[in-house]
Amino acid sequence: METVGAIEAGSYGTAKLNYLNNGSTLRSWLLTKDHKRIAIMYLISVSVFFLMGGLYAATIRLELLTPASDLLETGTYNKVFTQHGILMVFFFLIPSIPAVLGNFLIPIMIGAKDLALPRINLLSLYIYWIGGAITLWALMQGGVDTGWTFYTPYSTTFSNTYVLAVGVGIFINGFSSILTGVNFLVTIHTMRAPGMTWFRMPLFVWAHYAVSLIFVLGTPVVAITLLLVAIERVAHVGIFDPALGGDPILFQHMFWFYSHPAVYIMVLPGMGIVSELIANFARKRIFGYEFVAFSSIGLAVFGFLVWGHHMFVSGQSMYASLVFSFLTMVVAIPSAIKMFNWTATLYQGSISFDTPMLYGLAFMGLFLIGGFTGLYLGALGLNVHLTDTYFVIGHFHYVMVGGQVIAYLGGLHYWWPKMTGKMYSEFWGRVAAMLIFVGFNLTFFPQLILGYLGMPRRYAAYPPEMQVLNIFSSAGASVLGVGLTMPVFYFIHSLIKGKPAPDNPWLLPGLEWRTSSPPPTENFDKPPVVTWEIYDFGDENGLDLEAARREAATVNA
Amino acid sequence: MAESTTEHHNPHVEVPNEHIGIPGYLGVFALLVVGTILTYYVALMDLDWIFAGANTLVALGIAFTKMTFVMLFFMHVRWSPKLVWMAAVGAFFWLALMFAYTMQDYLTRGTGYFGH
Amino acid sequence: MSAHSHSDKFVYHEPGLQHQFDDMGQQEESVSLGMWLFLAQEIMFFGGLFTAYLVMRSKYPLAFASGSNHLDAFLGGANTLVLIVSSLTMALTVYYAQKGNRNMQVGLIVLTMLFGLAFLGIKAYEYTDKYNHGLVPMAGLNRRVKADSATTEHVGLVLPGETAVSASEAKPGAEPYVNPHGEFQWHEYELVQHMMEKQRAEPNGHYLTTTERLAYSTSPGSLVLDQNKFRDKVRIFFYIYFVMTGLHALHMIIGLGIMTWLLWMAYKSTFNAEYFSPVEMSGLYWHFVDIVWIFLFPLLYLLGRHYVHLGL
Repeated sequence: METVGAIEAGSYGTAKLNYLNNGSTLRSWLLTKDHKRIAIMYLISVSVFFLMGGLYAATIRLELLTPASDLLETGTYNKVFTQHGILMVFFFLIPSIPAVLGNFLIPIMIGAKDLALPRINLLSLYIYWIGGAITLWALMQGGVDTGWTFYTPYSTTFSNTYVLAVGVGIFINGFSSILTGVNFLVTIHTMRAPGMTWFRMPLFVWAHYAVSLIFVLGTPVVAITLLLVAIERVAHVGIFDPALGGDPILFQHMFWFYSHPAVYIMVLPGMGIVSELIANFARKRIFGYEFVAFSSIGLAVFGFLVWGHHMFVSGQSMYASLVFSFLTMVVAIPSAIKMFNWTATLYQGSISFDTPMLYGLAFMGLFLIGGFTGLYLGALGLNVHLTDTYFVIGHFHYVMVGGQVIAYLGGLHYWWPKMTGKMYSEFWGRVAAMLIFVGFNLTFFPQLILGYLGMPRRYAAYPPEMQVLNIFSSAGASVLGVGLTMPVFYFIHSLIKGKPAPDNPWLLPGLEWRTSSPPPTENFDKPPVVTWEIYDFGDENGLDLEAARREAATVNA
Repeated sequence: MAESTTEHHNPHVEVPNEHIGIPGYLGVFALLVVGTILTYYVALMDLDWIFAGANTLVALGIAFTKMTFVMLFFMHVRWSPKLVWMAAVGAFFWLALMFAYTMQDYLTRGTGYFGH
Repeated sequence: MSAHSHSDKFVYHEPGLQHQFDDMGQQEESVSLGMWLFLAQEIMFFGGLFTAYLVMRSKYPLAFASGSNHLDAFLGGANTLVLIVSSLTMALTVYYAQKGNRNMQVGLIVLTMLFGLAFLGIKAYEYTDKYNHGLVPMAGLNRRVKADSATTEHVGLVLPGETAVSASEAKPGAEPYVNPHGEFQWHEYELVQHMMEKQRAEPNGHYLTTTERLAYSTSPGSLVLDQNKFRDKVRIFFYIYFVMTGLHALHMIIGLGIMTWLLWMAYKSTFNAEYFSPVEMSGLYWHFVDIVWIFLFPLLYLLGRHYVHLGL
């Protein structure tokens, strides 16, 4: 049987028609139905939100250099950390990997011409822009100070900031996630190329299948919750106000029913990328493929049943707390399965330490810490001591930043040659990866200690004896900031002056490496027929390794 | 316009499924009307002698029956692929999970071994 | 160009086949699955509201029963029937679209839209009634009645345009209806007072839930009704009523928009045995909105109807 992968010499370069040079007007971008162009527009959008969220983070760390609240007024500080959280969670972390890399790669990885519902895909981008615009407008008008969690009755009754507008912005933005989720689920079910069976799919696709389940089943609940908050602010009925017979804990149940699974939205796609990186850069079939695939689904399902661990000290019944605490321990199992399988994959692999792999390995270490500290917080007794301290902040930044952001960067480096057709500077890539790893740990490990010592979150001031660790943390944040800024420069530099990328720069068997870099608008010149397993590094994978090597050599010459 | 497309018969599309036909649709419709009237009159009866809240349970039972008929026949789930069954049943299962895990909190407040 | 060698084998023209699919079968499967996943999303969307309903009702069953008794169950039931008829006409629209019968499609879509409009009309009539009686749970959104023009009209239904009910129909001893600021009003405490008396007589009985015993009493454990506190709980019922029915009505309006588009398509004879999935998908949406109402009707309109035998 004929398989794809035979790479014609000179297929790279500008002469060939690809998705980037197929139309250059603004209209050809804004009205495109091509998943790759939509992904690029998402990439630019989430980067803008990441930059803004990062500036807020820098402000927080500057304020916390000194024990007194001197840089910012306490009210302003409340707004700064709230807006940092809202921008990062709803407008960067949640869409980052799925909407950018997932959008770009899922159709290519399963051998389809596009997502199943391309118009819906474009619609979701516009919804994201509208939601983002409303939120940004609210932030410019004066912002919001409730914390990203919008806890009632503060958000409904007492806060006099722009809760309504931000709530509406996030409500609208939620439908962007929902539509993306629907699109991915349909695509993965109906658009797979001939021979692309479920257990030949890349684990990146499995992870996105799991994430899409959360998008579809969880996001509508937070949408309705924020709608209730918004109406409550206008109507003052009291459904969340205990003074009027309402129930603030009802809000917490409804909010965390989505927002705990959302935590898995913020790490599952990262796990998908790391599965790709570990297997491909160790040049070995991933150990226990089925277990890694099903552990993604397991995380998505059990992730829905643990939300009560955010509410141990907020008046939930002790029975419910016990159940939620137990289930929290259970949900650690699928995560552990992934960690063990990645480690086993590395064993006796022929590992190459290219930039993406550095991020992959960093993820394993950082997620390990993030996961274990999560177990501490899920333990009922210890939680009482650690609730709302910097231990929580440290924990979830180890998962969100150490997990999702690191994996996102890894994925971006890994697929950058495919997305743009250009190679970035490997040297600066490695320097940035090291800076980010060191800066990250320097920022957030002191926060774990500070939290254990009892420093509460969301305060602008703290006791003077905690200053040393806070200075460490702020210093680390500046290193992290430098590290995160560097890719912007060398990525842009690569677009202008970078070497053209070969079709298969890492010499890998995945489908995305068997089309040109950048891919044509319909992804493949010939519709692929898959006859090999996607992590098959043997001779049966139909890959013309010699041709790929020759091409790489030509490009590098 | 209709003629121009029907000339070339598409081999991939099967002959349209009649499903239950017009008598079937009318039958389901009659059942839904009966269900609605039944709900209304059962609500007026005092069923508290069976157990508290029996009225609500009966009303929900009728509503579930009506929904099942609408989904199976009007929405053609009966003839749909397994995936559609999973999407439909899965969503309700998820909703049930949300109800169950929320209520396990509210129904155990201040009771049992850890209560006050 | 060899790129399209696979798709070139389709010699016939398939209207509506999008470029990313190989054939109509794949397209229909994708679109139908997408629609069902969207409906799953809708179930969870309304599910959040049903959770709020469940928690609040389990806390304050008597306030919910009192509030529900004030809704017009007959109109609610009539609306249920209207929606069921529209579901039937929708199902028949799909049936005739599959047969490519243009005239029946157009007629049935028009009928479906008419029944949808009838539903919204009855709903609007009910909302007006709530507006006239001070039952909208937001201050300022009810009809303002100054003290000097006070009547006893709150006892009966007031049609839009009508202002008062004759004094002879009013319950004896009813307070004059005054609502100068358009606030939420509640005047019916017979049911809760009856239950509180029973609870006082039988302290071990289950006439009020534990929460209610605290929530309606002037002081904890006194079991003496505090009307303001009870009114707050009834207001929560009406809040949930308005949010649920309002969101449902919004879905109906969106549905009518879809139907208008569908009518135009059917009028142009777009649909036939090979291409009718837009009709089928719109049908799925319409039936879903019907299903939501099938649950809203008993859960909002029929609570505590069985207390009528108490003769309060």
